[in-house]
Amino acid sequence: MIILQVFTRLLAFVGKEVVEIARRPGAVAVLVLGPFLVVLLFGLGYQGYRGSLSVIVFVPPTSGLPTDAGTYLQLGSLVDVRLVTTDEAVAEAALRDRQADLLIRMPDHLQATLLGGEQAVVAVETNIENPQQIGLAQVLAAQVSETLNRDVIRTIAARLQVQSGLTLPMPPEVIAQPTRYSLSSVAPTAPGIIPFFGPAVLMLVLQHFAVTLLGLSLVREKSGGMLELFRLSPISSGEIIVGKLAAFGVIGAVIAGLSTGLLVAGFGVPVAGGALQVIGILALVLVASLGLGLVVALASDSERTAIQLSSLLLLASILFSGFILPVNEFSPPVRALAYLLPVTHGISLLQDSMLFGSVPSPAPVMALGTIAAVTIVLGWLLLRRAMRPLKG
Amino acid sequence: MPDAFVEMKAVTRRFGETVAVDGLDLEIPAGLIVGFIGPSGAGKTTTVRLLTGALSPSSGTVRVLGEDPRRLTRRSRARIGYMPQLPSVNPELSADENVDFAASLFGLVWPRRRRRVGEILELVGLGSVRRRRAGQLSGGMRRRVELASALVHDPDLAFLDEPTAGLDPILRRVIWGELHRRRALGRTILVTTQHVDEAAECDLVVLITEGRAVAVSSPDDLRRAASGGDVVEVETRLPFDPFGLGDIPGLLRVDRTGPRAFRAIVEDAGRVTPALTGALAAAGVEVGSAREWRPTFDAVFATLVDRARSDPSVAPPPATTGPDGARVEGPTPR
Repeated sequence: MIILQVFTRLLAFVGKEVVEIARRPGAVAVLVLGPFLVVLLFGLGYQGYRGSLSVIVFVPPTSGLPTDAGTYLQLGSLVDVRLVTTDEAVAEAALRDRQADLLIRMPDHLQATLLGGEQAVVAVETNIENPQQIGLAQVLAAQVSETLNRDVIRTIAARLQVQSGLTLPMPPEVIAQPTRYSLSSVAPTAPGIIPFFGPAVLMLVLQHFAVTLLGLSLVREKSGGMLELFRLSPISSGEIIVGKLAAFGVIGAVIAGLSTGLLVAGFGVPVAGGALQVIGILALVLVASLGLGLVVALASDSERTAIQLSSLLLLASILFSGFILPVNEFSPPVRALAYLLPVTHGISLLQDSMLFGSVPSPAPVMALGTIAAVTIVLGWLLLRRAMRPLKG
Repeated sequence: MPDAFVEMKAVTRRFGETVAVDGLDLEIPAGLIVGFIGPSGAGKTTTVRLLTGALSPSSGTVRVLGEDPRRLTRRSRARIGYMPQLPSVNPELSADENVDFAASLFGLVWPRRRRRVGEILELVGLGSVRRRRAGQLSGGMRRRVELASALVHDPDLAFLDEPTAGLDPILRRVIWGELHRRRALGRTILVTTQHVDEAAECDLVVLITEGRAVAVSSPDDLRRAASGGDVVEVETRLPFDPFGLGDIPGLLRVDRTGPRAFRAIVEDAGRVTPALTGALAAAGVEVGSAREWRPTFDAVFATLVDRARSDPSVAPPPATTGPDGARVEGPTPR
């Protein structure tokens, strides 16, 4: 009979939360269609990184270099040449007016400098503040310099061949560029934007909904009279926690199922590791996120605080989880913070499982299990404290 | 089974410098409706929250069902119903879903739960709107949903914090009808209210003001305490000076209210009224009417509160005897 009563209490929570959400069409739309739309928009809209910089090329009239724009279109894939000019003032003004990101100054008296035994300098000036673009400008400067070097070597080799009648052991083009690269992938699936980022979007959506929904539900009960009712009813704090986890576990499972179905059936994301492995990962992330939701709810004194906290968590998840930037690019303290988020482990696990078919290390699984255990126990302790009588 | 369902001994509760409950003594046996009555901010809700274990007393002891309410066993909690002052109804759930959830918390298993939910909603007059979402119900209906949720598991002891607040007189009568029905079944109900006239519905009234219980007594005893005894209102055909009535056993004093009217304060109206009219007849005074006069509870409480405020050292009505011979303790004299 006692087991039946405990089961009755747990089912009461599941029924209450499911009915409550189903009764709000707006909430249903946000819950079920929202993740669908986010994944859909992401899939349709994301076109990969287009890291080109707009460039003005200043060619000193006495440089000995060609001044036609066509020549400089070959500077590299990262370059969008806006202007080629021999007028230094025009070039500088255009950079100041932000008509382009970079000004590339070709070396003056190139031939004389080289014959004098000195290196010629390709000077690159920027008028940008985005640190990512600054990094790109460095890559571009190196690329321009390399292209120029190649052209110079090829030109010199060709002249040598013509002027001195020497027979070179290899063509000038090979001397100028002895090697070239070839890239191929042995990954089980063809690399692509959607297969790579799709699982990450799913993880982000799942964590956010778990934290927000459970958090708001519990905060509402805390700020209303429900917690006082719970305190005086035969239900224990442990049963409340299990009931809440079960209720939002069911709702989260529906969201995860539909979103994964869209990724797989709609966008062709593979399930290399098999459905069971993916389900296991989703379940782990869901439980850990619900645990986080418990802590957020019980640490908040109002709905507003809970919403602010869950928004902060979402922002931290987007920035630090590996969703945009690789986790290992952060300093160790920030990396440690990133590893406290379920989504960080979820992204790595789900990408490995869906795209590679295996999880190379059990560490993320163990980390998720630990986050789930710690947050749920912490949530339980906080709930016990919230239900304790106020001291006089 | 403890003798007293609810017991408070010298209970004080402070919030910083504010004393919300001040030295409250109370001993409530089973089977009574006990009304905690007083103005807003008097300390009624604090008293209920001390009894439900939501608050710890700053000093003194509280026992409910023989246990410390802060650490009630699961078995004892299953015997208690609680309707908090804060709204506890879920607006997204229908009336019966709200009550069903409360019943589930108390472990009521289907189909008994389904039957009880239907019964209690009928009893509070919500049978016809049971499927309607609570958010679409009127304030009074929502309050009754909360009452039904507190009573669905048929608790031995119910704490109802202002169940009639904001309700019209007809709805209040519905709620009091249900409370009387439960009292008849031997259940104990502790109820707070700002409606002073609802004192008449209670077996025992705890009048609270400024954190102090200025009176703990049955409604009739409170009336007597306010007036100094029963009051008999007499009208004579011709002008008459009542101060010359002489000694009549049980007559405590007279107050003249007009040339042909006076009020006699007596020990027992039933016993003294015939003697009073007899004495008037013997004096040649023709009596127009002589009937017991019952002051309104507003007047009674105003008198008692004023008395307590003007001289806090005066003890409120002393230990008295409640219904069924239950002993009820008055507050400790200060």
